[in-house]
Amino acid sequence: MSKKIFLDYKRCIGCKACEVACEMTHGEARIRVFEFPDLFTVPFNCRHCEKAPCMNVCPTGALFRDEDGAVAFDPLKCIGCLMCAVACPFGVPKLDEENKIMDKCDLCADRRAEGLLPACVSACPTEALKFGEINEILWNREGKIVANLKGSAEKGEGEKAYIVL
Amino acid sequence: MDVAEKLVPVVCPWCSVGCRFYAVSVNGYIRRIEFDYDHPTVNRGKLCPKGVASYQFINSSKRLKKPLKRVGEKGEGKFEEISWSEAYRIIAEKIKEIKETYGPEAIAFLGSEKITFEENYLVHKLSKAIGTNHLDFPGRYCQYSNSPARTAVFGSAAATNPFEDVAKAELIVIWGHNPAETAPVFFGQYIEKAVLDNGAQMVVIDPRETRGHKYASIHLKPYPGTDLAIALAMLNVVISEELYDRDFVQERTVGFEELKEAVKEYTPEWAEKISGVPAEEVRKVARLFATKRTALLVNEGLNQHVNGFEFALALANLIAITGNIGKEGVWSGVFPGAQCGFCAAMSGIAPNKLPTGKLVTDEAARAELERLWGFKIPDWVGLDLTSMIREMGNKIKMMYIVGGNIAKSAPNSRWVREQLKKLDFLVVQDIFLTETAKYADIVLPAAAWFEKTGTAISAERRVQRSYKAANPPGEAKPDWLILVELAKELGLGEYFKYEHPDEILREINSVIPMFKGATPEYLAEHPEGCFFPCTEPGEGTKVLFKKGFKTADGKAHLQPVKWREPPEMPDEEYPLWLTNFRQVGHWHTGTMSFESPSLKKRWPEEYVMINPKDAEKYGIKSGDLVKVETRRGSVLVRAEVTEHVREGVIAMPNHWNINVLTLEVTHEKTKMAELKAVAARVRKVEE
Repeated sequence: MSKKIFLDYKRCIGCKACEVACEMTHGEARIRVFEFPDLFTVPFNCRHCEKAPCMNVCPTGALFRDEDGAVAFDPLKCIGCLMCAVACPFGVPKLDEENKIMDKCDLCADRRAEGLLPACVSACPTEALKFGEINEILWNREGKIVANLKGSAEKGEGEKAYIVL
Repeated sequence: MDVAEKLVPVVCPWCSVGCRFYAVSVNGYIRRIEFDYDHPTVNRGKLCPKGVASYQFINSSKRLKKPLKRVGEKGEGKFEEISWSEAYRIIAEKIKEIKETYGPEAIAFLGSEKITFEENYLVHKLSKAIGTNHLDFPGRYCQYSNSPARTAVFGSAAATNPFEDVAKAELIVIWGHNPAETAPVFFGQYIEKAVLDNGAQMVVIDPRETRGHKYASIHLKPYPGTDLAIALAMLNVVISEELYDRDFVQERTVGFEELKEAVKEYTPEWAEKISGVPAEEVRKVARLFATKRTALLVNEGLNQHVNGFEFALALANLIAITGNIGKEGVWSGVFPGAQCGFCAAMSGIAPNKLPTGKLVTDEAARAELERLWGFKIPDWVGLDLTSMIREMGNKIKMMYIVGGNIAKSAPNSRWVREQLKKLDFLVVQDIFLTETAKYADIVLPAAAWFEKTGTAISAERRVQRSYKAANPPGEAKPDWLILVELAKELGLGEYFKYEHPDEILREINSVIPMFKGATPEYLAEHPEGCFFPCTEPGEGTKVLFKKGFKTADGKAHLQPVKWREPPEMPDEEYPLWLTNFRQVGHWHTGTMSFESPSLKKRWPEEYVMINPKDAEKYGIKSGDLVKVETRRGSVLVRAEVTEHVREGVIAMPNHWNINVLTLEVTHEKTKMAELKAVAARVRKVEE
């Protein structure tokens, strides 16, 4: 299973370190923090979908899946036709207006090649962004929930158990 | 072409958390940064947006590259370039002339929380060598309520525990502090771990809903400047309900009876009338505070008030009587806003101190330092920063400012700018032509952080070394070198024989006993640094006051404290409280962060937060251009109508022009001005 960036929205404080880290690495931020009036914040980047519509519609094969499962792109093959942008349900691929080619998150291919984490995950001061496989992340959460329920049951405080998301 | 990339270990130049990372340097330029996960560093490799973008400002085209001499009017910002030798000659001649005409007491120096420990030490040494004790730094408006108050009670102001103890606390009280924005790494790595992973409870006391507020189970929203009333009521509750730590009070404190007597009138009901916070809520928080292991995090919301000293005394009393000190899992102390706040404070940058921490009036301490330094030290207490500004053109004829921007950061800045014009001579040493530098006669271009080697001291007392990763632009030089060369020009060269910051640090090791063990060699080998007091290499002190306090008898001296009104309260003419706050993307007066494109783009301009009820009353909608006025002045800003600020209060970020509105009245002892609670009015401006 491929590794992706997962978000623990509960930990996000909307500091935008991820945006700035991405911008410092790629020239433009490919991740964006959405802010809501109730202090709820969500950083959002390309999901690198398992059935990526952007990849399916790309007529030149500029979008491809790399060894780690990221939907990466080859700028030399891109013709700037915007098909990927039309197909993406999240509006992720953006047009680099100067070069007339598309620009999107490639999970920091250069950094991964050096064994480093993507820049946004590296920076995130609250560890709201996690890089890993879906099952690993889910097991981790489930483990926490179980431990919490067990702890509360042992203390006879079942009603106080809370779910750690 | 083969370019060699060097990984240079550096300390982040913004807040005082003390994050480390690597600057990836190529031929004297920083190409990018790399996160440092390998060492037991405080940030565990993590960085906030300012940290990630931290080398952008050093590449700004606006950097000062040559010494400048003013040609236009003061404040106009017209200069001509001159050579270093000419700049030194003019400054030295002027210093000599002013000394001969008015005596050395007409000259004042400002150190800075932005320059290294070594450089602050040199500013101090140079001012004493010239013969003046008029010495201060802009941190006067930062920690100067909490610091003297904690010193009065515990004998020392510094943070008692390392940050890791915050993660172990059972209760986190965030009072007048917004760590989610001012110190996101600290918030994410320690506070969030305590709350989300270790089940700690969190209480926020602030007139605004800050970013971290969503983790809090209780949020008290007092009017700005009335927090003291809540602190007094909490003391009242803890004492009257006998929730205090009996053994601790008996064994380790003195003055409990006086304190009990002083606070007996201050019931939560009384506090409710003043602060607007329900009495029952105050009771609840007081009970939690007394019964749990508490980390108390305070900052400018406590400090930047004229009654901040009393407020800080009340909190120090509260910490002492509840025994939340000297053990694991508690935290309290000062939290400087800048990475080198402690560098200025610990090198004795204050009108009444020696670098050894002793008072200038202490004859024996002076004699000891005179022996070490080799020259005579003046014995009188100098002026603090606000008094210096007040005396400009009168007692103070000349100022030498290193890395401070008082024309923007000091309260009532329009008045400050008028005062700056009255000086006979002003030297400003900085990396940009700041608002203050525009009033200077000579501007000296300094090297920025990353362009020099030096020591930084973080909020948890961690002493760390940062190394040179880039070359300064043009003819800019490190501050220490400028001071050394100027001293030579003044004929004081024999006392300033330094070729490298290591030599200055070695002198500090021998002059300041608390830093004896923080040698350049030890810090080079240990990137995580050491906790001061570190008397021998490798022997730092992680938790303070485990046994005694730093007072003469080793006990905490509880201070009776009384309610004190803020100097200005809302009235019919100015019906709202105006307070300030900091944004995650900017830092202080923005000299550096406004020159960081990634930050400026995301946090572009100032605005005023208004509660929907107030907004309705004044017919204001989000995005409207409004005029915010106080008795000192007015500014035009956009309005943001939001529930995140309580009714009756308006709030503005402090990086832009808010100090046109603030009040220069100071506390008689601490000289702290009122920057956070002034009476204001707001009205819509027709477009």
